[in-house]
Amino acid sequence: MNVARAAPSAALVAAMLALPFVGSEYAVAIGFELLMWIALTQSWTVLSGMTGYISLGHAVFYGLGAYFVVLTYGTVPLWLSLPLAGLLNLLFATAVSLPVLRVRGPYFVILTFGLSELVKYVVLAVEAALGEFGRMVFGVPGVIALYWIMLALAVAATVLVELVRRTRFGQGLLAIREEETAAEAMGIPVVRYKMLAYGLSAIIPGMVGGVMALRTTYFEPQAAFDPIVSFTILTMAIIGGSDDARGPVLGTAFLTLLSELLWARAPEIYLIILGVALIAFVLLLPQGICGWLFPPRRPAT
Amino acid sequence: MLRRVVWGALCAAAFAGSALAQGQPPVRIGFSIAKSGLFANGAAAETRVYDLWREQVNAKGGLDVGGTRRPVEFVQYDDQSSGANAVKIYEKLITDDKVDLLFAPYGAATTLPLAPLLERYGMPLVANTATSVHIRELKPGNIWFVSSTVHDHVAEQLVKLLQQNHISSVAVIGNTIPPATEIGRFLKDDLAQAKLEVKVSESYPPDITDMTALLSRVKQAKPQGIIELSLFNDSGLYLRQSKELGVDAPFQFVAIGPTVASFRKMFASNTDGIVTLGMWSPEAKQWPLAAPFEASFVQKYHEDPDYLDSVLAEMSCEIMEEAVAKAGLDRAKFREVMATTTFQTIVGDVKFKGVENVTTPTTFLQIQGDKTQIIWPSSIATAPFKPKTMH
Amino acid sequence: MIAFLLSGQLLVAAIVTGTLFAVVALGLNLVYGTMRLINIAHGELVMVGAYAAFVGFSAFGISPLLCTIGAGAITGALGAALYLGLFQKLFASPALARRLEANSLLIFFGASVIIQSLVALGFSRTARGYRYLDTVVHLGDVALTANRLASFLVSAALCIAALLFLRFSVYGLAIKALIQRREAAGIVGIDVERIQLASITLGFATAGVAGALVSMTEQITPFMGFPYTITAFIVIILGGLGNLAGGIAAGMLLGFVEVYGVALTSASMSSVLTYGVFVGVLVLRPEGLIGRSGAAP
Repeated sequence: MNVARAAPSAALVAAMLALPFVGSEYAVAIGFELLMWIALTQSWTVLSGMTGYISLGHAVFYGLGAYFVVLTYGTVPLWLSLPLAGLLNLLFATAVSLPVLRVRGPYFVILTFGLSELVKYVVLAVEAALGEFGRMVFGVPGVIALYWIMLALAVAATVLVELVRRTRFGQGLLAIREEETAAEAMGIPVVRYKMLAYGLSAIIPGMVGGVMALRTTYFEPQAAFDPIVSFTILTMAIIGGSDDARGPVLGTAFLTLLSELLWARAPEIYLIILGVALIAFVLLLPQGICGWLFPPRRPAT
Repeated sequence: MLRRVVWGALCAAAFAGSALAQGQPPVRIGFSIAKSGLFANGAAAETRVYDLWREQVNAKGGLDVGGTRRPVEFVQYDDQSSGANAVKIYEKLITDDKVDLLFAPYGAATTLPLAPLLERYGMPLVANTATSVHIRELKPGNIWFVSSTVHDHVAEQLVKLLQQNHISSVAVIGNTIPPATEIGRFLKDDLAQAKLEVKVSESYPPDITDMTALLSRVKQAKPQGIIELSLFNDSGLYLRQSKELGVDAPFQFVAIGPTVASFRKMFASNTDGIVTLGMWSPEAKQWPLAAPFEASFVQKYHEDPDYLDSVLAEMSCEIMEEAVAKAGLDRAKFREVMATTTFQTIVGDVKFKGVENVTTPTTFLQIQGDKTQIIWPSSIATAPFKPKTMH
Repeated sequence: MIAFLLSGQLLVAAIVTGTLFAVVALGLNLVYGTMRLINIAHGELVMVGAYAAFVGFSAFGISPLLCTIGAGAITGALGAALYLGLFQKLFASPALARRLEANSLLIFFGASVIIQSLVALGFSRTARGYRYLDTVVHLGDVALTANRLASFLVSAALCIAALLFLRFSVYGLAIKALIQRREAAGIVGIDVERIQLASITLGFATAGVAGALVSMTEQITPFMGFPYTITAFIVIILGGLGNLAGGIAAGMLLGFVEVYGVALTSASMSSVLTYGVFVGVLVLRPEGLIGRSGAAP
C-alpha cells in the first residue's frame, strides 16, 4: 500500500478519533451516523461490490443484530453480545446463502429484500405471540462510548473490504462479477466464494444493529428491519462508487453532509431538494464520486 | 393549493416577525414530528394542535414565561417516523439549536427513546401520544405523559365496559405491532380473570390486505363482542369487510381511527355503533375549556379535531403553558410545579404521579348516528352504550 | 372447515385480491421488461392516481371509475415527460446507459421522494377518502362491496386487454420483441425509441388507473405508495421479469396464498406465507415461476 493512497485514510481516521474531544455534542452525533453508514456500506461492498450480486436486504442483519443484543441485554455483557451478534449473522447468512445465491441479477435484488421482510414479519409474529410489545433497554452506554465502538466497526469494515480485495478470494469475487460461468470454468470455487462473501458481509451490519439498538433504547421490529436501511446503503454505494474502499466513505460523507445541510436549512422541502440532488447526481456523475475523483487507470469493462 | 401554502408561510413569517418586534426575545420550542413515513398520517392531528396553540398564544402577546410574555417560535424537524432520528433530533435541539423548551413527537416509538437524553440534559418534556406501559419504567422527573389511555388501563376498563353491558363472549383480533399487541396482552389476562369467553383470538401483520378468512371465522363463532385492536389502515379494512361479510355483534370496538373526522366521513355508515378509544367528544359540555378549543380548531382546519390525539396534544400544550407561567424556564421549579399542580385542561383536571396522569379516566367513545358520544366512564358519559345493529 | 375452504366467498376474495395485485404490477413489468428501469417510484404513481380520483370525485363529482381515465392520463403523461426529458438522454449516452439499471434506481428513488413531498405539501399529510358504491352486493351466497366488484371488473378487463394487446397488436408485438431481445429488436426495424416511449407511458398509466381503483376502498395519503411498490416487485419477479402473463399469474397466486393461507392457518401467518412463498419459489426456480419471457437476457 503506497503512502500517497494511505495518507488521506489515515488522516480521516485521525480526524474521527479526535472528534469527541474537539467537536460539539452534535458533531459527535453526526460523526456517529457517518461511521455507521460507512461500516454498513463497506460490509455490503464485500458482497455486492465485489460479486455484483446487489443486496437490497442488508437490513435483515442489522435487525437480527439489534434483536439479539436487546434480548440478551442484562444477561450477557455487551463486550460479548455485540461480537456474538456478528457471529450469529455470519451463521445465518451462510446458512441461507446456498439457496439464495442461486438466484441472479434483479431477481437476487428483490429476493434479498423479500428475505429481509420475511424475517421482519416472523419476528413481529414471534414478538406478538410472546406477548411482547416493543422492548426497552436501560442503562445503556452514552453516545461517546457508542461512538468509539462504531468507529472501530467502521475501520474494521474498511479493513475487511481492503483485505478481501487483496486476496485471491477477492480476485475470484471480481471474476465472478465479470462473468460467473467463465470464472467457474477457470476453476474458481464459485459457490464457496459467494457463500463466504455473503457471510462476511453480514458480520459487521449485525454488530452495527446491536449498537443502534443501544442508541435508540427501544426495539420494535418494524423499525429495526426498516427497508430504508437497505435502500440507504445502496444509495450511498451507488453515489460513492463501490469499486474502491474510498467509495463508500465518499458516498456516505456526501449524503450525510448533504442531508444535514438541507435538513437544517430547509426543513419543509429538504426531501424534495434531496430527491432533486440524487437525480442530478446520476446525470452528472454516473460513475459515482469515486469514479469521478479517481477514474480507473484501465478502461472499465 | 401550493400557492396558498406558500402565501400562508409568508404570512406566518411576517407575523412572526411582527411578534418579534414586540421587544421580548422569542421563546423557542423544539420538537420533531413525523412528516413522512408510517406515522405521518396520525401525527398530523398533533402538529395541527401545536400550530393552532402557537397562533393563539402569540395572539395573546406571547407565552407567559414566569411573568413575562415572550413570542413563541418553533424549531421543528421531520423525524420520518423513526426513533433513531428522534434521538438525533432532540440531541440537536438541546445541544446545538439550544431551544428553551421541548414539545413531544408522535407516538411511543419516537417518544420512549428520548428518556435517557432528557435525563442526561435535564430537559423536561410533556409527552402526549405515547401510551405504552413502558412509560412507567422511565425515571420520573424529566418526562410526563398526559395520556390516560395507557394500555393496561384500556384493557381493564374495556373488560369492565363489556361486563356492564352483559357481554359474555368476545372475539379479539389485532395488529401485531406493539401498541396493539400491548393492549392484547393485558386484555387476555383481564378477560380470563373476568371469565369472559374468548371465542377467537388472532393477530395479523400490519400490511394485511384481506380479512375475509379471518372475519369469516369471527362470524362463525358468533361472539357478542368483537374487539379489533387496529390502526388506521386495518381499522378501515375491518369496517369495510365486516360490513361486506355481514359480521354482526352488538358490541364492536375498533381501537384507532373513528376519532378522526375524515375517517368517520369515509366509513360513515360502517362506523355507526362502533366503540373506540378517545378522550373527548363535542357532546361533552362539562369542561369549559373544550368548546373554545373545538371552535378555533374547526375555524382553522374546517373539521373536528381528532378526539384522541388532538385532545392529548392540546392537553400537553395547556399543561406546558401553565407550568411555564409559574416556573419560567427554571427546570427545578418546573419539576416541582409538574409534580404538585393540578392542571386545567380541555378535559378537566390533570395531576401527575411520577410520569403518569392519574386523574383523567380511561375513556371510550361510541359513534351514535352522526354524533360521537362518551359512553365510559359513567362519571363523564354523555350517553349510554347502544348495541350496534346491522344496516 | 372443508365447506368453508370450498366456499365461494373465499374464492371471490382470492380472485379479487389477486387481480388487484396483478394490475398494480402490470405497469412495472412493462417498464422493467422493455427498458430495465427499476421504478422504485411505482407505488407513488399509484398514489398520484388515487389523489387524481379523489379530486375528481370530491371536487367535481365524477365517478372514480371514469376518473381512471384521467388518472391514467396524468401518470402516463408523467411517464412520457420523464422519458423525453431524462431517459432518452441516458439511453443515448453509452457511458450512462451502461450503469442505467443502478442509476435508474437512484433516479426513481429521488423521484419518489419528490413526488411524495410535493403531494404532502399540496394535500397535507392527513388521510383522505371518500365513499362511493359502498353498498354490499350479493351474488348467490357471496357478498361483495359494490366498489370492490367494480374495481375487480376494471382490473380484470385491463389485464385481459394488456394480454390481448401484446399478443395481437403491432405495437404490442413490438413491445414483446423489445422485452425479449433488446438488441435484435432494433436491427429488425422496430423503432426502439417510440416503443420505449409507448411502454413507459402505458406502464405509468396503468399504475395511475390502479391508483384510481384503490382510492375507492383505501385511505389516501402521500405515503401510501410503498406497499404497492413492494407488491409490484414481488409479483413481477415471481412471474418472471418482463413476462406480463407470468406477472398476472403471479399476482393471482399471491392473492390465493394470502387468502387461503390465512384460511388454513391463522391471520398472523399472512405476510410470513406471502414472503415465504416468494422466497421459496425463487430459490427453487431462480428465474421466476414461468421464467423470463423468451430467450436469454
